[in-house]
Amino acid sequence: MNADRFIETTGLSRVYACGEVEVTALRDVTLSIARGRFVGVTGASGSGKSTLMNLLGGLDTPSAGTIRVAGRSISDLGKKELALYRRNTIGMIFQSFNLVNAYTAIENVAFPLLFAGVAKKQRLDRAAELLDSVGLEGRKNHRPTELSGGEQQRVAIARALVNRPQILLADEPTGNLDSRTSRQIMELLSDLNRRRDLTLVMISHEQALLRELAHEMISLQDGAVVTREALR
Amino acid sequence: MRISDYIEVAAGNLWKKKLRTVLTTAGVVIGIGALVCMFAFGQGVQRNITDQFNKVDILYDIVVSSPRQGGGPRFRGRDDPDGPRRGGRRGARAGANDPNAPPLDSRFLEEARKIPGVETVFPELRFPAQLRLGAREQFTLVQVLSADICRSGKMPLRAGRCYDANDPNGMMISDSMVRRLGLAEPADALGKEIEVVTLSLDFGLRSLMRMAFPQEGQMGLPVARTSYRFTIVGVAERMPFGGISDAYVQPAMAAGMRKLAFTNIWDLYQPPGQGANHSSVTVKARSPADVASVKKELESRGYNTFTLMDQLDEMRIGFLIMDMFLLAVGMIGITVASLGIVNTMVMSILERYREIGIMKAVGATDGDVQRIFLFESGAIGLLGGTFGLALAAAVALIVNEVINAIMAREHAPRMAYFDFPWWLCVGAIVFSILVSLLAGLYPTRRAARVDPVVALRHD
Repeated sequence: MNADRFIETTGLSRVYACGEVEVTALRDVTLSIARGRFVGVTGASGSGKSTLMNLLGGLDTPSAGTIRVAGRSISDLGKKELALYRRNTIGMIFQSFNLVNAYTAIENVAFPLLFAGVAKKQRLDRAAELLDSVGLEGRKNHRPTELSGGEQQRVAIARALVNRPQILLADEPTGNLDSRTSRQIMELLSDLNRRRDLTLVMISHEQALLRELAHEMISLQDGAVVTREALR
Repeated sequence: MRISDYIEVAAGNLWKKKLRTVLTTAGVVIGIGALVCMFAFGQGVQRNITDQFNKVDILYDIVVSSPRQGGGPRFRGRDDPDGPRRGGRRGARAGANDPNAPPLDSRFLEEARKIPGVETVFPELRFPAQLRLGAREQFTLVQVLSADICRSGKMPLRAGRCYDANDPNGMMISDSMVRRLGLAEPADALGKEIEVVTLSLDFGLRSLMRMAFPQEGQMGLPVARTSYRFTIVGVAERMPFGGISDAYVQPAMAAGMRKLAFTNIWDLYQPPGQGANHSSVTVKARSPADVASVKKELESRGYNTFTLMDQLDEMRIGFLIMDMFLLAVGMIGITVASLGIVNTMVMSILERYREIGIMKAVGATDGDVQRIFLFESGAIGLLGGTFGLALAAAVALIVNEVINAIMAREHAPRMAYFDFPWWLCVGAIVFSILVSLLAGLYPTRRAARVDPVVALRHD
């Protein structure tokens, strides 16, 4: 496996059928991301950012083209293999946090370990450790509705890390946060990228912050990559 | 995922929606309760009838008749297609209904006792008589029954003892006769002297004259009345030995009595010279397995036979039909309950649509998602089955008490009208879980097929 091409897409396209009309969300995207890099993805609404993220995360399958992650093709994996890929390789963070409101913070963080067959005690120990690392020591037994937006996103980040993924995909993680909290979350993710050697792909409209923290930036327009800029 | 995790997650999710879980489970409880109750009632009826057969100790009896003595009409055979449908249908094998079969005389009794598997042999002898106790009179059939059979323990007693050789005038009556004679308790009859008035054919001159010139207040038939006195020594349960007779006397005493001894009306047409022959003899087998072999042996000798085991087989088919009917009625409740489960599971999946998306995003397979919901569905079935069983037991207890209270007025013995064999209890719970899983199959498949991208955008 070439470390410069840890994530590699070739001619990636995604077309959705809306009745008899076909909508092309992503067209012929070819790019590669090196291991341990922090890549920012920007673009206007409907430019295909989330579609690209869903394809990289194995939540969706491409209409055409290939995706290779760590030298392994994921575009032709079956449903079960894709689930295992999401479980073992990917950690995902969403704009709307996507926490289970019925669970406490610690239960939410431990949730992915349930499907990995980890024993309850180990699950909770690992979740507690991660909550500590994102600065939520005293909020473990609070439900999402009892937490602020920033705290909820920290819980989501801890959950994304619980399976020790190689890639962290963040889809507008600061979209619902104020500017101060946005900076804290971006800095936390950047810190995780550095300390844990995580490959971080983040969609964000916070271009200034991305320019400050990311290694490179990709800009999408109408489903195609229009610019790719190395920042450091 | 581990099994313990599935259970914990399912229990947690059901607990979160307590009211809905309780209502859905209540549907299953009622459905399973109704089904189990009906089935238990069917089982209870079957058990009571079988027990009654065993209690009266006629299940192993083979009633033997000889075609030569006109016993044929009692048991339909090949030569009597219009005869009453009884055990003879099965008895019509090679050898049976043989008109040249030897008579049912004392020699037959001796030879029949030697057949392997035979416990005892006694002639079926009953005669009509009027029992008088004080001002009360009751007409009944008196059965001639030897003391050794009475003492063999085959005749359950309510009070007193069996007669023996020391009390030739001893008589036993059934507890129903006790009431018919106006006595309150079986013990009240013990030691009481009872008058037995028999009828016999009388072809004397005076009798023939009466027949030719009947007078008012006199019978025109050549029949004589003879009175005998007995002492009641024991009271038997309601239906000993088939429940046909309500009074029992010893053969030695019966031999000296003038009577119209018959088992069926054909006895009255018995040809002269066959006075020592019996129209019918009961051969009692040692066990159910012996019944078939003894019956076969008797039929091979040309006799007609009738056993209640044959009847019981036919009754079992009847029970099976009854069970099927009860099952069909109970299934209506189960069908309604399973629709409730489908509805609950579909609702649950719609409510947790986004959660399913999260599960998939963090690495749950379609199988994991389906199993989580199937465990919830199965848990409803387990709870429904367990509480349904408890409901059925409670209803059975109440209904049983009510029926027994009503039947007690008729002096009927206390009985359990419901039977809960272990297989019914285990089967009800297993069935409840299976039905719930089946009901949950469609919703859980739907949950497993949820597109995570769509689900994560769902509000």
